[in-house]
Amino acid sequence: MRLKTPREKRILYFKTTLRWFLYYFIIFASFVIMTSGTLLKPVLLVPVALLIAVNNDIMASAYTGAFCGLLIDIACGRLLGFNAVLLTVFCVASTLVFELYLRKKFINCMFIISVFSFLQCWLDYKFFYEIWGYDGVERIFRSVTLKVWLYTVISTVILFIVFKIINNLLMPKEHLTIEEVIRTS
Amino acid sequence: MGEFLKSTRFKVLLALLAFLVGIMIYSVTKGGYSLSGASFINTITKPFRFASNSITMEMEKNADRISNADAYYEENLELKKQIGELNKKLTEYDDLVAEVEELRKLVVIKEEHPDSVFSQSAEVMGYIANDPFKGFIIDRGYADGIEPYSPVITPEGIVGIIIEVSQHSSTVRTLLSPDLSIAAICSSTNRDFGIVEGAVIAAEKSRTKLIHLDKNHGIKKGDLLITSGNSGLFPKDYAIGTVTEVGVEANGLSAYAEIEPAADISRLRSVFVIMDFEGKDGKEKEDTDEAENTP
Repeated sequence: MRLKTPREKRILYFKTTLRWFLYYFIIFASFVIMTSGTLLKPVLLVPVALLIAVNNDIMASAYTGAFCGLLIDIACGRLLGFNAVLLTVFCVASTLVFELYLRKKFINCMFIISVFSFLQCWLDYKFFYEIWGYDGVERIFRSVTLKVWLYTVISTVILFIVFKIINNLLMPKEHLTIEEVIRTS
Repeated sequence: MGEFLKSTRFKVLLALLAFLVGIMIYSVTKGGYSLSGASFINTITKPFRFASNSITMEMEKNADRISNADAYYEENLELKKQIGELNKKLTEYDDLVAEVEELRKLVVIKEEHPDSVFSQSAEVMGYIANDPFKGFIIDRGYADGIEPYSPVITPEGIVGIIIEVSQHSSTVRTLLSPDLSIAAICSSTNRDFGIVEGAVIAAEKSRTKLIHLDKNHGIKKGDLLITSGNSGLFPKDYAIGTVTEVGVEANGLSAYAEIEPAADISRLRSVFVIMDFEGKDGKEKEDTDEAENTP
């Protein structure tokens, strides 16, 4: 995208600020939802971080992944940094995958998020339950881990729509329109 | 004038007046009941009068509203202010009631356990997301004197133990967790010892398990388990829960009992932390031993 006038630059800065404000508002809301009540809930911050990562550059994705991961650690009472490391890696990986191989389509996002959220749930189960060898620990995998993963994938559909709306409204255009090309040439 | 008095019109008028006076006198004699004609008119005009009356009332109300708008506005503001103040007082009153209730509970526990030092009531900030063992976070931390591995209780009984302390919050591991073991004794038999330790299957039903129980135990369904105070981690004589099921372990060497915790762990609103108690970390025991060994 080529910026021509100071006004266009101001609009871009405003839109970018507003977009990131909305991203972090969603992150905050997801954290609040995750920490309320006693029922099983989706790990909303995983799809949120990945959906942000899909549409941004590597560094922004990494920071967001780390931040969301820390929030997951706090919400889930995990060793601080465990999910932060995982999500940083997942976010960077998803940014690269979408930059190099995949188009930002709904089905691709769902696939990537399903895979990464399953990995997150599975590693959480491995390191916080299975490793300690509790009796009947596999029941936790069936009754908690898989359910949480399923809820996370389902909630991704809604989050995808929300992020799609935000990005459509506030994301700078990647390509010039034909009119812009004609005008600038 | 003379012509008018002699005219037919005047006579008709007089007749009408006489008729009306006659009606008047007749009405007086009816003793409170209206004449049939009046009744008929009333019945016929009733709906119209209702409609008319309501329209008029509405118009009068509107006129009153317009003419006294300023006064009503002022009154409204004043009333809103009063409602705000009353709501504030109500909230303060509710908080006070809750605080008194908490203090009353604390007094009961203190009377039962005079050797223990309790924290102020701690609110449950939230449960750890997706934790099958219902761990939770309370709003008291090391700024309030909370230390790691302090027991957490409710007036009903033991809930768990503090595992992580921040400045203003602490994480509690409940007795549903397999990572927490509590030495317990059956209060009715007073001789059946065991270890209360969470188990995955029991935790699904919000229950915990008494393990390492002698095969020839006397525990039965409904018995109350209390802390034995042997470990130094938990004070003595606090309720843990009631026995819901008794059985023999798969290895056949010992028995077990399934326990329903005395406190409803999945619906906690506030708890107390025991900051100090007799026998904590085996201190008193060591002191006693030292005293015994001193010549």
